Amino acid sequence: MAAIGHIFDIQSFSVHDGPGCRTTVFLTGCPLQCRWCANPESWVYGKHLMFAQTSCKWDKGCDVCLSVCPSGAITMAPGQPPQVDWDKCRGCTDFPCTTICPNRALKQCVKVYTSGQLLDILRRDFSSWGSNGGVTFSGGDPITQHDFLLEVLEGCRKLGIHTAIETSACFPTQTFLDVMEYIDFAFIDVKHMDSAAHKAGTGVGNEGILGNIRALKESGWSGRLVLRQPTIHGYNDSVENAKALIAFMEEVGLYEINLLKFHRLGQTKWEQLGKRYAYAAGGEMTDEAMAALQALYLDAGIACYVGHQTAF
Amino acid sequence: MERNEVKLQEILKARGITEERLKEEQSREIPAAAESFQRIMDIYYLLKVTADMESAYWYNRVWWENDGDLLEVRRAKAVAASLAHSTPTILPYEKLVMNKTKHLRGAFPFPWVCASFFNSLAESLMEEVDAPAENEADSVSVVGAGGGNVTESYGEIISIAKKFGMRKEDIPVLVKVSKYWDGISVEDISTKYAKTLPDYEQFQNIMDSVLVMFDSFAIPQGREVMNYYMPLQYGFDGILELCDQKIAETMGEAGGDGVLGMSRGYYYVAMKEIVKGLSRWCENYARKAEDLASREPDEAYKKNYLEIAQVMHNIAHKRPSTFREALQLTLCLHLGVVNEDPQSGQSIGRLGQVLQPFYEKDIAEGVTTEEEVVELLELYRIKITCIECFASAGVSGGVLSGNTFNNLSLGGQNYDGLSAVTPLEYLIIEAGMRAQTPQPTLSILYDEKLPEDFLMKAAACTKLGMGYPAWMNNQVGMNFMLRQYGPEGMDLYDARAWCLGGCLESAPGCFLPLEYNGKITMIPGGASPTCGTGIHFTGLPKVLELVLTNGVDQRTGKVVFPPHNRKLDTFDELLDQWKKYLDISNRIVNKVNNIQMDVWRKYNMPAVNSLLKPDCFKKGQHIGNCGSRYNGCINFESCGTITFINSLASIKKNVYDDKKYTLEQMTDAMLHNFGFRTAYDTGVFSPDYRESTDQAAQYAQIFADCVNAPKYGNADPYADSLLREYHMYLLHYLPTIESFFGKPEYLCQISVSTHGPQGFITLATADGRLAGTTYSDGSVSAAAGTDKNGVYALFESATVYDHSQNQNAQMNLKLHPSAVQGVQGTRKLLELVRTYMRKGGFHVQFNVVSSDTLRDAQKEPDKYRDLMVRVAGFTQYWCEIGKPIQDEVIFRTEYEEA
Repeated sequence: MAAIGHIFDIQSFSVHDGPGCRTTVFLTGCPLQCRWCANPESWVYGKHLMFAQTSCKWDKGCDVCLSVCPSGAITMAPGQPPQVDWDKCRGCTDFPCTTICPNRALKQCVKVYTSGQLLDILRRDFSSWGSNGGVTFSGGDPITQHDFLLEVLEGCRKLGIHTAIETSACFPTQTFLDVMEYIDFAFIDVKHMDSAAHKAGTGVGNEGILGNIRALKESGWSGRLVLRQPTIHGYNDSVENAKALIAFMEEVGLYEINLLKFHRLGQTKWEQLGKRYAYAAGGEMTDEAMAALQALYLDAGIACYVGHQTAF
Repeated sequence: MERNEVKLQEILKARGITEERLKEEQSREIPAAAESFQRIMDIYYLLKVTADMESAYWYNRVWWENDGDLLEVRRAKAVAASLAHSTPTILPYEKLVMNKTKHLRGAFPFPWVCASFFNSLAESLMEEVDAPAENEADSVSVVGAGGGNVTESYGEIISIAKKFGMRKEDIPVLVKVSKYWDGISVEDISTKYAKTLPDYEQFQNIMDSVLVMFDSFAIPQGREVMNYYMPLQYGFDGILELCDQKIAETMGEAGGDGVLGMSRGYYYVAMKEIVKGLSRWCENYARKAEDLASREPDEAYKKNYLEIAQVMHNIAHKRPSTFREALQLTLCLHLGVVNEDPQSGQSIGRLGQVLQPFYEKDIAEGVTTEEEVVELLELYRIKITCIECFASAGVSGGVLSGNTFNNLSLGGQNYDGLSAVTPLEYLIIEAGMRAQTPQPTLSILYDEKLPEDFLMKAAACTKLGMGYPAWMNNQVGMNFMLRQYGPEGMDLYDARAWCLGGCLESAPGCFLPLEYNGKITMIPGGASPTCGTGIHFTGLPKVLELVLTNGVDQRTGKVVFPPHNRKLDTFDELLDQWKKYLDISNRIVNKVNNIQMDVWRKYNMPAVNSLLKPDCFKKGQHIGNCGSRYNGCINFESCGTITFINSLASIKKNVYDDKKYTLEQMTDAMLHNFGFRTAYDTGVFSPDYRESTDQAAQYAQIFADCVNAPKYGNADPYADSLLREYHMYLLHYLPTIESFFGKPEYLCQISVSTHGPQGFITLATADGRLAGTTYSDGSVSAAAGTDKNGVYALFESATVYDHSQNQNAQMNLKLHPSAVQGVQGTRKLLELVRTYMRKGGFHVQFNVVSSDTLRDAQKEPDKYRDLMVRVAGFTQYWCEIGKPIQDEVIFRTEYEEA
């Protein structure tokens, strides 16, 4: 149980990430770079800094971070909030600014766990999930850290813990199937049925993803698979795209999908990482539009859930 | 979208995924409350909290007319007169009637309990100016400024205790009545004898520092459970006959008890007086209703008045013969008890089990319908919400936040050890969902034996965001009963009858055989006096502060404890000194409180309550003479547990283990508020408000180390083990303190809302909390913002000791509404409750409301007149809560946002 994992959050009483009440483990690293990503902190594999300027009390006279920064990455002009020079910050390893900051405006993101340490936490939470809950591995994409994940999953199987995963399925097929063998419940995102559009939104085409979903079904995998789609106006909310996805689901033999209305909850995280958020405007879906899309799936006999109104 | 819902259901069924509906419950249209409820609530929202002198005048008059009579009889006559002369007020639409006073939202002062407040104000009141705060505790309590509170005088209304409005014409009566009691009120007499204690000055120093809040006479009854059995079983006329029989049996006979045996005869004479008073009170309402009916042109109103007249006339004499009569009678008794003393936390108990036989018969015979019963239960909610407690600002704002905690418990086990849930209890929850009022707050006595659909209904109610029901662990409660009351004969049967008195005070009960509808039903009810009223709210972090400052309160410059002059070289020595100071405080405060309660029970013994509480009537002894079945009920109340534990963890880590700072450096940082401006200075009491001073840089590192020190609530054994040690110590220490009933005391952990005022008087603490801001609330809630490993880790931390060691443990959680949407959300909320209960957690309650909503409501209180939140064991209107507590609620960690 010695493999090392990089984890940026462990959330308990997680109620929208699979059946029942769960603990969700967020691992870093992702083969996709979605322009609307709600967890952009997962893109950096190792420890790094996040700066939430809204929590900063510079206007109340606090400037304690300046003196401890070893690389001079944090600067403050008179009457201005602190600025982080992200290039200078990148080389930092111990982030002293995050321990001195009393307001948790400067936070170190990503902690390192051995698989044994993570299993200890899951074992502790085991009694809290109730009859149909368990652990969900999310991210990022947890399969990025497949060696670590496999060790944890083997541990889960020994303990009898129900496992769920949220993945892009964008990996070499064997790697993907090796992990899925240990998974009881999976969400796989299909962002777009058109590969070019998929690439435009996420940085990669969808062939590998669709291929892996097929391979999974053909492998005789006995888990429950629910497709997911963040539904974004002007990107993937067309009838045409929905019909293509319905056809794909019918072909492969899938009958559950969860449409998630586009939201902007991740926006501040982009800012905390010093990045520009591409979806600062646009993309909103109305409830009516979501219902219209849902109706398309339902008419095809596919159980289509919108948002949190799910059957799990 | 409806079509989609139906279609999805079909597909799910066809695919064999689930047969459960995804929406319903939450989006199920909760039926509107009855028109009668809405009409009366429209009036309620406009009402101010009112005090008047009618009851007090009659009590005072009859008391003095009977000068020289035996005290228990004289007392009963005075209480009876105050009830029998209360002017009946009936509003159109009311079906349940009776109020504390002639006003719907009224209360009255009790100068015979505490006169100095009014006497000291006599002059200023007569000059019609605002009353100054009466003592230290009052001056640090901030009463909510909105809603029905009368915080300032206006027009013909004088503000008293920053909460009550009294009309100017009543003021001379108040002043004159209070004069009679100058020097002889419970307060005055007990103070006279307390002053004979050689270390009385020590007591005064403690109270002046607000290290301990409140004297026992402030609220000598309450934190207990009503018992409605006697009148339900016998009716008032029947009880009068029983009294005559008992007088014939016992008058003039000692019955083998040379001290109290002779009192039995006098007790029954007193009980006759009080029963006659209650009966006349009911008759007055009957006559009032008849009078209104005779002058009412509208047939529907007229019919309503005549029904009221019939009900009130019947219960004035006979045992109830319908559900409505039984409910009305319990309300009458409840109001009767809360009118005989200043009190809070007089709990209704397991009403849905007590009244089930009446409900069952009426439904079976077609006398009433479920809907009619729900309407009555809705109207009942208004009646209980209208119960106000006339107390000083310190008590009404500091402790109660304006709520009087008339808790109604549901569930638990019945006499035979099976689920006690009744059909009527479903309707009580339904009424609580339709008719959203702060009181009565609901408590589920969670037991694995309870039906799942009942639990789901209760969870669906919790989700609505009114803060009720809260969830209590039935098994833990029963175990505590057996532990604490075993020496008095508590057995498994009686243990099953427990429930919540006050907001969270586990109170003992018993089952009694109600004969009704041709069968016998064992109905539960309270069986003890107040399960509180010992050593009130002691600020544990303040004791630690005084250890560090060698006994001097740096806020006021006054000496609180004798200097210890120890170097405190080890953590154990520090803890040892904390125990020593706590013990100094407990010993003297306990003695003074014992005197207060002893004087109270001699002059001011409960009258109505001594009729109701088993086994007073059987023994022929009132509550003051240990007439109740269980008397080991007096407790020690703590405040700020987790702030204290986190402070210890920080000192242990930074000073003793890592040796990064000396204890002097740590103390210096606390005295300088870690280089930030104080809340006293800025007026902002929010726990996360920090404004630097010139010294900020100097303390930045130590502050960071304090903030980053191990914190309770993260499943970190470093801090959690300190909590366990603390509990193991108190478990064995507190019983060494003896109450005025001659019984061992025990730990009660409800902060109510004292974590506001006691936080106010406490300097910065070693956990990084700044001076003047609130302590952590509850007893096992994490300090705001410090639980970073999620709620499961918090549960793990909270259950590092056995919760049945104490009367209670308190866990407040805030959930974002999105976390519990839909039926799945209800199930998951219940799963969360069940998880905690399975771990042995005693209590958990939820605020299902977003921080954003609360912030909006703070800015625009008028728009949110009906917004309710759960504070620390009770529900209250947001706008009637003081600002420091509002800030604390907003800051409390919100789980599963987004």
